[in-house]
Amino acid sequence: MIRRTILLPVVVLVVMVAVAACGGGGAQPTAAPPPTEPPAEMAPSPTPEPMEEPSPTPEPTAAASPTPEPAAETGAQLVIWADENRAPIMQELAEEFKAQYGVELVVQQVSFGDLREQFKVAAPAGEGPDIIIGAHDWLGELVVNGLIAPLDLGDQQDQFLDVALQAFSYDGQLYGMPYLTENVAFFYNPDLVPEPPTTWSEVREIAAQLQEEGQVTQGYVLQVGDPYHFYPIMTAFGGYVFGRDEKGSYNPDDLGIDSEGSIAAATWLDQMVKDGLLSPDVDWDTMHAMFENGESAMFITGPWALSRIRDSGVNYAIAPIPDETADGKPFMGVHGFMISAFSQDPLLAQAFLTEFVATEEVMQKLFEADPRPSAFLSVREAIDDPDIAAFGEAGQNADPMPAIPEMASVWEAWGNAVTLIFQQQEDPEAAFKAAAEQIRAAIAGQ
Amino acid sequence: MIRVGTGLKRQQVSASLSLSEVAFRLMALALVDAVAIWLVIRMVTDGVWLLVTLVTIITVGLNVVFLREEFYPLRWMSPGLALMILMVVYPLVFTVYTAFTNYSDGHLLTKQQTIKRITTGLQNMYVPEGGTAYRWVAFEAEDGTLALWLTDAEGNHYFARPGEPLRPARAGEGIFGPPDEQGVPTAIEGYTRLNRIQAAANRELPSIQFGLPPNAVQVRTPSEAAVLRPRFVYDPQQDAIVDQKEGKIYVADDANGFFVSADGETLTPGYIVTVGWRNFSRLFNSPAIRGPVIRVFIWTVVFAAASVVTTFALGLFIALLYNDPAVRGRKLIRSLLIVPYAIPAFISILVWRGMMNPQFGVLNRALDTWLNISPPWFSDPMWARLGVILVNLWLGFPYMMLVCSGALQAIPDDIYEAAEIDGAGAWKKFRLITLPLLLVSVGPLLISSFAFNFNNFNVIYLFNQGNPPMRGTLTPVGHTDILVTYVYRLAFASGGGKDYGYAAAITIIIFLIVATITLFNFRYTRMWEEVSEHV
Repeated sequence: MIRRTILLPVVVLVVMVAVAACGGGGAQPTAAPPPTEPPAEMAPSPTPEPMEEPSPTPEPTAAASPTPEPAAETGAQLVIWADENRAPIMQELAEEFKAQYGVELVVQQVSFGDLREQFKVAAPAGEGPDIIIGAHDWLGELVVNGLIAPLDLGDQQDQFLDVALQAFSYDGQLYGMPYLTENVAFFYNPDLVPEPPTTWSEVREIAAQLQEEGQVTQGYVLQVGDPYHFYPIMTAFGGYVFGRDEKGSYNPDDLGIDSEGSIAAATWLDQMVKDGLLSPDVDWDTMHAMFENGESAMFITGPWALSRIRDSGVNYAIAPIPDETADGKPFMGVHGFMISAFSQDPLLAQAFLTEFVATEEVMQKLFEADPRPSAFLSVREAIDDPDIAAFGEAGQNADPMPAIPEMASVWEAWGNAVTLIFQQQEDPEAAFKAAAEQIRAAIAGQ
Repeated sequence: MIRVGTGLKRQQVSASLSLSEVAFRLMALALVDAVAIWLVIRMVTDGVWLLVTLVTIITVGLNVVFLREEFYPLRWMSPGLALMILMVVYPLVFTVYTAFTNYSDGHLLTKQQTIKRITTGLQNMYVPEGGTAYRWVAFEAEDGTLALWLTDAEGNHYFARPGEPLRPARAGEGIFGPPDEQGVPTAIEGYTRLNRIQAAANRELPSIQFGLPPNAVQVRTPSEAAVLRPRFVYDPQQDAIVDQKEGKIYVADDANGFFVSADGETLTPGYIVTVGWRNFSRLFNSPAIRGPVIRVFIWTVVFAAASVVTTFALGLFIALLYNDPAVRGRKLIRSLLIVPYAIPAFISILVWRGMMNPQFGVLNRALDTWLNISPPWFSDPMWARLGVILVNLWLGFPYMMLVCSGALQAIPDDIYEAAEIDGAGAWKKFRLITLPLLLVSVGPLLISSFAFNFNNFNVIYLFNQGNPPMRGTLTPVGHTDILVTYVYRLAFASGGGKDYGYAAAITIIIFLIVATITLFNFRYTRMWEEVSEHV
């Protein structure tokens, strides 16, 4: 009797707790990969994000070690957060910086996937860094939360690629100093396609011919349901995602997913699938594997795939995005430095960026550590790797990926529309109109 | 009865307590207190008062329980209770609290933090209309005071020191050394020229007023100095932030957590406020709830039920197989079968994803060769659902196998012997003895497994993110979306960024659904009673 009366509440409690714990699962979605960033997950970004890396506190990577003859010790210090790929080069620069100016630069390593979330928590608590290195499409989220401070590049402004500065601007105000750009380009196999196609109609013809001759399984490959790689095609037909206002900022009220050009591109895609020129079973890996083993002759990808394509030994060449009724433009992602609005040394942080990092010497080092087209003009123009230069060429007219928070509502609905066309479940016009409707509803706050 | 029992126990215990035991207890308690005090100090500086209160209460409670003899029975439970309050109750309370706030992107800071963020710092300084901007070079005197050499747009030079009016100056005259290309003296008598980084390393620099106020010049950026004014100023009387530049007044709107001007413009960032039931009404009024939620709910139940049934069936089958002492090497095989349980789920799920790739996947190639079918696991709704259940079966059966193996060994052999004597066959023994006795102990686990799978975010999200998409819905949703992944889409993947308040509200609703189903299950199957009878 006694045992039973004691046991029952305990069991109830335990089960309730277990159930409650499961129920609470939804409240901690930060552990899951963010879906707001399709490019990062669909095109595995050069800095692969570990799924659930528990690193609640950034670990300082051996704070700047003593240099032989430090300049006059000032006692001032800057803290910078960089991901695992950038921490080593920043560490190197930190030593140089200390030797030159006597200011300590503490480099803390935070993984790319966690950086934003941790910054959101740490900065308001006064424990955040002075500077973070990140991607420009974080801007909307960080600015709306008041976490990063405007930046004035002063007379250095002219030394940067215009579109990269545009990417780091929000509401006409600059919030970051760009240092590298990345965008997709058109890859083709010169053994199968001697001259790169200049229009998407040509792509279609070449693909059809190659398949007919049995030289390839699929002439042109495109990953299913991925809007990021579909965007260049959409712009080639005159489509767009958000229109721009006179300042060049994206305007969330002007959604172009159901514009004439976007639907024209969707129709082209639909016809390709109908004619057996695009398979609905291709994902990101398949797409690359097919190109690498010669089963396919053309596709779109970014600099992050360059090393695997080189390793595969396939003959390849890189060309700008084909056009159609308009210029085919890829999205551009820009990485750069942002200053915390909660920094105690905003002036020093700015001076570090404009006086030390924004020099040809340092920008060249950053480029060598991570060879993607630099946002610093003199370094960008001096690139001698023909592939990287070709990516730079293809990105000449790129659109910065919209950083406005409304973009978060776009990816999923847009991607679903592309998927539905691939699976032939809906006709292109209906699919894109429905997607536009979903996006408008989401932007209006449901 | 209970009182007598514990009283008796206490007497015995006090009698047998030795000095060293008391000392050990006190030391352990002191250690706990030390850690708690350290934690509280940390948390006070962080300003998380709810946690401070909680930790304080728990610590005081622990001390009372361990120091007063009359709370002796509680001693054994108190560490568990304390941890439960911290790790389970607190997050729950916080989730419920969050559901009634507008905590989301754009509203991450408290009102105090927001005011401070908007009205202070270098970013709040602006050059008033008609003000002159200068390029600056800093010079440091031997006593550490600073002076600025200023150059305006027309090329006029000034020398500025705190507390003295700006005076026109020319390099190469008086104390000023010869000019460089910009006309800035390379040296000034009694001063050292600083480069911008050295100057900026002085944290005081932006707040030093060079010249005589109100026309004193301040440094704003590494390249610019000017007569500066703070742009936004908080006025506590009106509870508003005044924009000195545009003359606008932004009044605090505590219902929405924004500072709003008369023409409806808001300042970023907003702040956290409680919003009552707004998150809940938003959920029930959203097209999302009128749309596919019923389909999502049905699939959620089907998925959870199918996961439990399949994993239990396979787990039980394997457990029965290797429960037979006649099987050789059963221990080894049993250990190997736990492997799917031991590998992190997200790795197995990704591996399955690869194996089920319709063009390259091992599984599909094999099926294509043997049966001449290549299931479209990721594009066809029915196959996608089957795929999710299959993957979840792989992940879940080892747990059921472990549970069943244990429970099987607890069934006494003599019952089987008696059944054999009565002439029962293998099937009868299983149906009439094994299964009913097994369900007594495993039943509650099946129900909690149902509740777990009801919210099994990982499998769905990592396998196919709830895809393939449904067509013609008002919000993006997929055919394999269960309620939790659907919530994730609603609260985090649409609208203007992450909305924690909304997500918390939906979570509470899901909790209520799961709790209702679970309670109903327990009631209906009367498993409580059975468990307590048999323990």
